[in-house]
Amino acid sequence: MVTRILCVAEKPSIAKAVANHLAGGAVTIRHVPQNQFTKNYCFDYNFQPPWGASSVTFTSVLGHIMKHDFPSQYSWSNCNPRDLFDAPIDTFVEERNKTVAKNIEQQARHSDILYIWTDCDREGEHIGAEIRDLAKKVNPRIQVKRAQFNNIERAHVIQAARRPIELDERQAEAVSTRMEIDLRTGAAFSRILTNHLKPMIRDVQELKVISYGSCQFPTLGFVVDRYFRVRNFVPEPFWSIKVMHNKEGIKVNFNWKRVHLFDRMAVTILYERCLQAKTAKVIKTQKRPTSKWRPLPLTTVELQKMGSRFLRMDSQKVMKIAEDLYTKGWISYPRTETDQFDKGMDLKALVQRQTQNNIWGPFAQNLIAGAFQWPKSGRNNDKAHPPIHPVNYTNPSTLSDEESRVYSFVVRRFLACCSSDAVGELTTVEIEYGSEIFSASGLTVIARNYLDVYPYDKWESSQQLPVFATGETFVPTEAKMSEGKTSAPGYLTEPELIALMDANGIGTDATMAEHIAKIKERNYVMTRSQGGGSNNGNQEFIPTTLGVALIEGYENLQFATSLSKPFLRKELEVQMRAICAGTATRRDVVHNSIEQYRDVYNRSERGMDTLKAAVRNYVLGQTNG
Amino acid sequence: MSSSNLASEILSHLQSKGLNPNPTWVTNFLSSQRPSVPLQALKQTAQIRLTHADITTSLQRSSKSVFPADIHNASVRERKVVGPIVVQVLDIEDIGRSKWSQLEALEAEERGETTKGREIIRVVPGEATESDNQAPVQSNGPHKLTLQDAQGTSVYGMEIVNVEGVGMSMNIGSKLVLKDVVVARGVLLLEPRCVVVLGGKIEELHKVWKEKRKETLKLGAQQIPPTSGPR
Repeated sequence: MVTRILCVAEKPSIAKAVANHLAGGAVTIRHVPQNQFTKNYCFDYNFQPPWGASSVTFTSVLGHIMKHDFPSQYSWSNCNPRDLFDAPIDTFVEERNKTVAKNIEQQARHSDILYIWTDCDREGEHIGAEIRDLAKKVNPRIQVKRAQFNNIERAHVIQAARRPIELDERQAEAVSTRMEIDLRTGAAFSRILTNHLKPMIRDVQELKVISYGSCQFPTLGFVVDRYFRVRNFVPEPFWSIKVMHNKEGIKVNFNWKRVHLFDRMAVTILYERCLQAKTAKVIKTQKRPTSKWRPLPLTTVELQKMGSRFLRMDSQKVMKIAEDLYTKGWISYPRTETDQFDKGMDLKALVQRQTQNNIWGPFAQNLIAGAFQWPKSGRNNDKAHPPIHPVNYTNPSTLSDEESRVYSFVVRRFLACCSSDAVGELTTVEIEYGSEIFSASGLTVIARNYLDVYPYDKWESSQQLPVFATGETFVPTEAKMSEGKTSAPGYLTEPELIALMDANGIGTDATMAEHIAKIKERNYVMTRSQGGGSNNGNQEFIPTTLGVALIEGYENLQFATSLSKPFLRKELEVQMRAICAGTATRRDVVHNSIEQYRDVYNRSERGMDTLKAAVRNYVLGQTNG
Repeated sequence: MSSSNLASEILSHLQSKGLNPNPTWVTNFLSSQRPSVPLQALKQTAQIRLTHADITTSLQRSSKSVFPADIHNASVRERKVVGPIVVQVLDIEDIGRSKWSQLEALEAEERGETTKGREIIRVVPGEATESDNQAPVQSNGPHKLTLQDAQGTSVYGMEIVNVEGVGMSMNIGSKLVLKDVVVARGVLLLEPRCVVVLGGKIEELHKVWKEKRKETLKLGAQQIPPTSGPR
């Protein structure tokens, strides 16, 4: 008898692509009633034993299917927000997913095996568990498997189809845990803040709710902190000593080892002692090989940072484009923390595919001809996905402008990884002049190597130094004391914000872009081009008065686990990892986390006057009183 | 041991450390100690007491052990003061960092952002948009100190080479011994060759300095002159 297999992907585009790869074209497309997005792709396929010759229906969901919410007696006007920490939670099929859920149930009823093809990450695992639950409800005997894949390239997909694995319950649990905590804390804090603060600002700002999110608040906190650092900044003068010596017709500039000092008297005395010494003495000359390291394999965080820096797109846009490229089979899964390639991967084959390009093709060809080097390994491995890399070749001119930029970047980065470090020679001369040390250096780039394909790094030869011998003395042509001034830092840019979120454990690489988009959407921050100039530069973040009031309000409450700080969220991320590793349970994590947030809630309630004062001060422009 | 023998034992111990207390201080010290205390412990206690005392009342003065009267003369480009001179630290500044950045660091510390487990990273290296005239976050000084001798004369000292034990964690009232120190334009040029750090503290001065530190940095950054300077 033919095995009936139901395959379910996370989104329609993946279902379509995978179905076509497996079926090799012989696909019957069936419409899902009342749903214009989802289709059922039906075909025959010969799986590995024991499944063998099978009749396959390949369909998809549209992300998460279920919705979690409080029962109606816990509606906004009916309860005290604090009750939401312990209220029951109903789980039901979200309205817009009703037809999708029904389709799964119908198909599952007549299937022997449910084969889950959601993306291989925590969210995908959780969606897989939702699909499983729907299927099991109508067909308890259905067998459940999961495909492990990280790109939509044909050979890879066929390989994956042969090796079904089990669903990872722990990862799904970790996601449920986070969802429950986010729901309870989000609702409780949004309600208490809205109830107290919204009426105050009704006249100046129209808002539905003053929304709280456990990632958004600390993210906003970074923006506000930088804003104040810029605004409060006081420039200070500093003094420096500059030495220039003209030798063999070359003007050599020597830099002071102390760079500069913030005391005029001190520098004046040191400067006088230089002049008094008359001659400077060469105490060290060095010529040594130096190199500029090729980049590490590409992670999501790095892609997002580079995107806003070099591709003129914000992180959310970059991720959207990267996902499209992944769905089309051009690049690997773009959500990954891994910056090391598995030794078993055939990277040369991937390089080979890029040889047909007319710009970087020759570079790829050269790698194949012998210049190929195994990429450097970073320290991170999420054990789920390889670093982001090109899977198949496509001519960038056939892509949209934005897709072409992201694809080109991914390819260039990959080829750079597989190339050699740039090599140069660095000459340094150190002199002693009075009691002070000065140095000059000259760089000669000998082999550009990876730089030829990776224009995002800059490394250029500098002026060449004349020959100096150790022990040689000379009277410098010029020695000057100069004055400068410190300048304020810039407002936070997106690459910096992503780096800060990453360093402080806010959000996962996959969700950072969303949190940043959320604080914009909620009117807590605005963006503008750096320095207020033309809009091709980096975007910088400036908080709105409401954004400042919320963070300052919480800062003024002065407790360590403030919502404006990253700790509570960081702890939750750690706990989620623990659930994935099997060292913590959902029950314990929810319990502990909710107790911590309840404590913060109580403090917020007691300190509401402080929060209100911040709103009066920053939003309404009234001084305290 | 007779009390005069005891006094000379204590005195020679202190002198071996470069400290030469006046007879009044020694008498007062001995009268505050119980006779049963062993000599070795007594020597230790005396040294700690003396490094925690104000040297303008505790030390002997001689022409060699205090600064020359014209020490501040800025027209003297360079001279050497032989000493040894014991001085106490009245003020210390890190002149390698801007005052504002030091103030920001203190405030971050007050907010608990440097406490273990509660660190907040505010700047990620390599990500900040370039402004190359920012002071480095880590600094080895140099430090500029206000040093006072037994006569009460205060003089600026500046590290021209790092001296171990001199740094922002130093107590106000710490004692140093200076020997063969070069003085340029009225400023002592400190280097390991000519400085011995004895440590110590003057509790009241230290407390006031700590309390006023943020205020001092703030005013300093805004270049509002302090109400009273050294001398």
